[in-house]
Amino acid sequence: MTRLRCGDELFDPVVREKGHAFEVTLGERTYRFSLAAEGPGVFVLREAGRAVRFHVARKGTAVSLFWAGRVYELTEEREGTHPARRHEGGALEAPMPGRVVAVRAEPGQHVKKGEELLVVEAMKMENALRAPRDGVVRAVHVSAGEMAAPGRALVELETEE
Amino acid sequence: MGIPTVAVFSEADRGARHVAEADEAVAIGPAEALQSYLSIDALIDAARRSGADAVHPGYGFLSEKGGFADAVRDAGLTFVGPPGDVHRRMGDKKAARQLMAAAGVPVLPGYGGDDQSDTRLRAEAEAVGWPVMLKPSRGGGGKGMRVVRRSEDFAPELAASRREARAAFGDDAMVIERFVKRPRHVEVQVVADREGRTLALGERECSVQRRHQKVVEEAPSPALSPAQRAELCEAGMAAARAASYVNAGTVEFLLAPDGGFSFLEMNTRLQVEHPVTEAVTGIDLVRVQLEVAAGRPLPFVAGDVVSRGHALECRLYAEDPERDDLPSPGRILHLSEPAGPGIRVDSGLATGSEVTVHYDPLLAKVVTWGFDRREATERMRDALRRTVVLGVVTNLARLRAIVEHPAFEAGQLHTGFIDEHLRELSRAPCPPPEAVAALAAALSRSGGDSSRGSARAVPDPWGALGPWRLGEGA
Repeated sequence: MTRLRCGDELFDPVVREKGHAFEVTLGERTYRFSLAAEGPGVFVLREAGRAVRFHVARKGTAVSLFWAGRVYELTEEREGTHPARRHEGGALEAPMPGRVVAVRAEPGQHVKKGEELLVVEAMKMENALRAPRDGVVRAVHVSAGEMAAPGRALVELETEE
Repeated sequence: MGIPTVAVFSEADRGARHVAEADEAVAIGPAEALQSYLSIDALIDAARRSGADAVHPGYGFLSEKGGFADAVRDAGLTFVGPPGDVHRRMGDKKAARQLMAAAGVPVLPGYGGDDQSDTRLRAEAEAVGWPVMLKPSRGGGGKGMRVVRRSEDFAPELAASRREARAAFGDDAMVIERFVKRPRHVEVQVVADREGRTLALGERECSVQRRHQKVVEEAPSPALSPAQRAELCEAGMAAARAASYVNAGTVEFLLAPDGGFSFLEMNTRLQVEHPVTEAVTGIDLVRVQLEVAAGRPLPFVAGDVVSRGHALECRLYAEDPERDDLPSPGRILHLSEPAGPGIRVDSGLATGSEVTVHYDPLLAKVVTWGFDRREATERMRDALRRTVVLGVVTNLARLRAIVEHPAFEAGQLHTGFIDEHLRELSRAPCPPPEAVAALAAALSRSGGDSSRGSARAVPDPWGALGPWRLGEGA
């Protein structure tokens, strides 16, 4: 999930998507709305007969939002830049649904903590899945072009003793 | 008019909108303006290579340089503007001031003589009375202009002003004028043909400025009575005649709080803010410029010129009002310009285009027309709310604050308006929670939109797409 920073404030929204309907939980509140893409970077939020058009652009981790006549500048703090989640049994899984665009690891390869194992494209961004610790790659269960769903083991990593 | 256009561009402007919109475009050199847009040789060469008949100098760069007008003429081409000697005459503030005073155009008490010794200037300043304004005679854009409030400050301020003038204009002659407190800036649009027929197309008010640069302009001025307007337009025409003016030009005046006005300077070119005059008169000023340059008489007489309704222009700059108007270069990642009845946008912007440090930070002009000032203002507020530029910092928040300010609404303008009312522009807070939720949903969106294919190569997929506009044709 993406966290968004605005100055000293850090937002940690939890997004659930069901078709065009979204449920986004932010702190105590949950927002329910539908979202339509009107053009590149232009979205219309609809809820209960109300529609709000907003504009989004990003460059690297910088996100610009135009909402209700104002421009806001935020920074994305992505999971992909952090070590990948550790799967039970020493396997790594994708933190979000996406397509594998590159496989950098081979079975038997020794890897260092932080080394890039896979590149998964999600949210129109490339996200590196990195080794959470030093180890040896035991198995790679995906190849480039495949979709990776959360929960699926992608790479198994053995810890060297 | 059926006249094909040839645009010129520097290396930095290869992808600029004017290049794409002209019938033909010619490269004239590197990004540095001195070797491209300010190079007379490069421009004449481009005109020759493309087979052009006439050269329109636009505004800025060489548009007021007599030497450029001469060079165009000498190359056998038509210069769309007054001849070189008119530029030189009006570009020298000392000479222009003397010319205007002789023609009965009101000038401020002051001095613009040839004796430029420090002692003479001080004596003249004492005679005018403090505070006085020091202006480089060859100046423009506010450079080197200083207010001297007390006798003991005169010597150091004069020295500083001369230094700035020498550096910027290569000439340190000065004009001294009485300083007017809380003045308005009003200006008369004039047009004149080669037979000497001279007309005034009404006035514009450009009082909302920052650092002597206009930010919001309008026509007509909310400050003038019909009698004052007639008097001002007469003075504008008298100024143009005294200058033997040909083509479109602007005579600028200071309007004091007591209603008295005095000649400031003449701009011997089309003004950035000309669209507000076009909006209220229905006259295409560039077309008139071309007609006059072609040797034809003005296509209308005084009785044909009617002003209807009210027009406003807001200048969108790539600069940060929260950081002392610091220019903000960068790439336009996303753009949406307003459109609709009574809205005109003159813009050099395209999604993906680069705002460079090389040139003026003016990005676009948003112009609205309304049946009256109130309607024009409401349309402007609405248009600015729908103007979206992401990727570079702009003065949009300040423009909105200006046109939403009660003093603006009341027409209570003066050249210190921004300093008085909007010095502290509230810093944009964080977005409201609902906006964060919407943003998170938008960022998580996968598939289904047109930007997907470009995702892998660029981390900012929306920036890679071509220009498009919201609500175009609506």
